[in-house]
Amino acid sequence: MARLPIGARIRDRRRACGLTQSGLAAAAGISASYLNLIEHDKRPIGGALLRRIAELLQSEIGQISGADDTRLALDLLELTRSADGEALQDESALALVARFPEWAQAFVRLHRRYREATESALALSDRLSQDPALLELSHAVLTQVTAIRSFAEILEAHGDLAAEERDRFSRIIANQSDQLASSARQMLDLLGGAAGQTHPSTPREEVDDFLMAHRNHFPQIEAACDDLRADLQTTGANPTAAIEERLAHGHNLELSVRADLHRPVLRSGQLSVPEGTPETTIRFLQARSLAEQELGPLLDQLTQDPRLTTDQARSGARAALARYAAGALRFPYDSFLEAADMLRYDVEWLGARFGGSFEQVAHRLVTLRRPGAEGVPFAFLRSDPAGNLSKPLSLPELHMPRLGGACPLWALHRTFTVSDRPVAQLAELPGGERYLFVARRVTKTAGPYGSPPVTFSVMLGCDAAYLDRIVYGDDFAGHSVRPTAVGFNCRSCRREACAQRAHPAVLPGETAGEAPDSPAKSDRKAAGDSSRAKKQTILAQ
Amino acid sequence: MAKTVLIAEDEPFIVESLTFLLTKAGYNVASCGEGNAALSAMVERKPDLLILDVMLPGINGFDLLRRLRDTPGLSRLPVMALTAKGQEADKLRMLELGADDFVTKPFSNKELMTRIDQLIGNRTSAPAAVPDPPQ
Repeated sequence: MARLPIGARIRDRRRACGLTQSGLAAAAGISASYLNLIEHDKRPIGGALLRRIAELLQSEIGQISGADDTRLALDLLELTRSADGEALQDESALALVARFPEWAQAFVRLHRRYREATESALALSDRLSQDPALLELSHAVLTQVTAIRSFAEILEAHGDLAAEERDRFSRIIANQSDQLASSARQMLDLLGGAAGQTHPSTPREEVDDFLMAHRNHFPQIEAACDDLRADLQTTGANPTAAIEERLAHGHNLELSVRADLHRPVLRSGQLSVPEGTPETTIRFLQARSLAEQELGPLLDQLTQDPRLTTDQARSGARAALARYAAGALRFPYDSFLEAADMLRYDVEWLGARFGGSFEQVAHRLVTLRRPGAEGVPFAFLRSDPAGNLSKPLSLPELHMPRLGGACPLWALHRTFTVSDRPVAQLAELPGGERYLFVARRVTKTAGPYGSPPVTFSVMLGCDAAYLDRIVYGDDFAGHSVRPTAVGFNCRSCRREACAQRAHPAVLPGETAGEAPDSPAKSDRKAAGDSSRAKKQTILAQ
Repeated sequence: MAKTVLIAEDEPFIVESLTFLLTKAGYNVASCGEGNAALSAMVERKPDLLILDVMLPGINGFDLLRRLRDTPGLSRLPVMALTAKGQEADKLRMLELGADDFVTKPFSNKELMTRIDQLIGNRTSAPAAVPDPPQ
């Protein structure tokens, strides 16, 4: 970055102090003409002379030298990289910071707000343009307004209407006004959630809601996979070999490993994976392909669901169900549940036993919801290193966020800084509820040297009531254990004093504050139902 | 002889108000609430003007207009498009496809009628004052 113009700053500050050039020069022990050169940035200044002048001008040296402004200048230079700021020159940005710091700050502030506003406008317009119910309602409103206006003008312009016509047109206006009011109410319900209902706005959210409505458990897929597995076992080969065999000979689908791919591709009778794809991933993909081949009609039938309103949502749900089926094929419900209980939900051990990755096993654990044969109820969430969330699967009490980021204190985010081992956390929410979180970083196919690794963090969460059934709960078994005070996300969190707070809370919080490291309240019963009710309300919006 | 206007619009109340206005102005009026029917009605009745709603079910307004311009005998038929307010792209597309004019919903009756009169070559400023003979 170019040098900040110190001269102008000295000149401004000198004038503000009511000093003349010669007065300041004399006090600093230099000639007036030399000071003049400095003030016009024709001579460099630093060291003892700068310190002396700063003292004489009663300023901090950082203020005079411009070091304080470097940050601001960098922020301001962001503007030059935006579409509206292309014509701005770096040099003039520096001059602006030096001469009019308040203006520069205001510019930076305005630009940030403008960007935030643009982003939220984009998100909203995305939502509006994708929401078929809203489009239909807007069309209805427009039609009703058009009819009302047209008939009102007719009544006004044609004084000679027959009584019968006049009555009919008035009735149409009344009828259309009623319709308009009803459309408007429906729109409000849709946008504001008058009934407190969240309305899914994107295909992905529709898929999430679809999975949640089934509590992420699909008995028909389980049964179909049990049948398919039994059928495969008659061949005598081990399950992995049997699946490969069936794909090759039953469906003419070959596996090929290719060096030019970055992600697996299933197309025209060929399952292609990049070189270096882990064995567990390949097996899972094969199981998924087989499920798509053999359970196609069932998957189609299950995705004929009113919750899925677009083709995109239906195909997303179909893919999710195919992954579900792959899990059900690879990790048979009964033996997997039995092993999970015996190994105390040790995800990595289960992975070793069943030949699955951490993410596959974690995902399968969330599906163990068969009435009468249920595993520990888990919620699931995945994040990339930037905090973009995916695959949220909630519990009735533990709602996994899908937008706006999860609480930065969750174990989910800690895994990126530790080795590939599970990170366990006893988390206490502002309402006093305690949950056990287990997260682990997972790395997808590693590319050639120098390419950024594709990593995610995968997290399971369950009620702390199940601590003793889970191996990760052992660390928190004692009475002296202090849980980590967390929230769901910043917007809904009442811990105002939290040092990791990224956004202000929507509702005013506890001014007393609880820093993340402060001891959490121990009497969770006393925390009360009202805070829980409040939390649910916030999350529902 | 009275000129004929065909309305291709599926909202019954809008059809009714347009029919009233056009009849008062001395036109013969026919209407269709669906694209395919509108296309055959045009071949049969050879109207002097088509009022075309962009959001027509069946064949939508855009496709219908495209088909129309490719049909011998109908390629020069004056077309008045009805578009939704704020849908700038729709207007441009309709004009590109060969619509002669458009009004946006909710429209003003007066404006609509003035434009229709101009399109059809009936440049009377007060059409009600010189009614065509009753049919």
